[in-house]
Amino acid sequence: MATGTDQVVGFGLVAVSLIIFTYYTTWVILLPFIDSQHAIHKYFLPRAYAILIPLASGLLLLLLVGLFITYVMLKSRRATKKAQ
Amino acid sequence: MLKLTQWLWGLGLLDSAWAALTMGALDLELSFPCQEVLWPLPAYLLVSAGCYALGIVGYSVATFHDCEDAVRELQSQILEAQADLTRNGLCF
Repeated sequence: MATGTDQVVGFGLVAVSLIIFTYYTTWVILLPFIDSQHAIHKYFLPRAYAILIPLASGLLLLLLVGLFITYVMLKSRRATKKAQ
Repeated sequence: MLKLTQWLWGLGLLDSAWAALTMGALDLELSFPCQEVLWPLPAYLLVSAGCYALGIVGYSVATFHDCEDAVRELQSQILEAQADLTRNGLCF
């Protein structure tokens, strides 16, 4: 078994992914079959957010990846220009 | 290219099935909860695939064995290589 921080980080990631998965599954799949007067509905945002939040975070991720690529390319071009 | 085209075909089929069901092109009388579940289904599949990938990565990080012998051998080889190179004139 891996030691120390490796285990903490690894199992932390597993826990985070399980939490997100169960919350999202309950939100998308289970809630429509539950009576709208039930108390559980107050723990979940309005249904439109079930699509908006993943979409927005996906776009944000793409933006960050693009910025990182731009930064790396600019740095390499400046390095080659200085070497000339 | 074969695997990519297979994936694209499969995804295209799923997407067209989902589009046909959501736009009511098949004239099925689906109950309201079924429609509510069907509408976010592609986003749900994407999110669950992402969660699965994250979970697998986390689990692999947590269960990767430390190789004590390999670490020691590698470090001794690094020292040996450093000594050899400095002897032959390379400055670190």
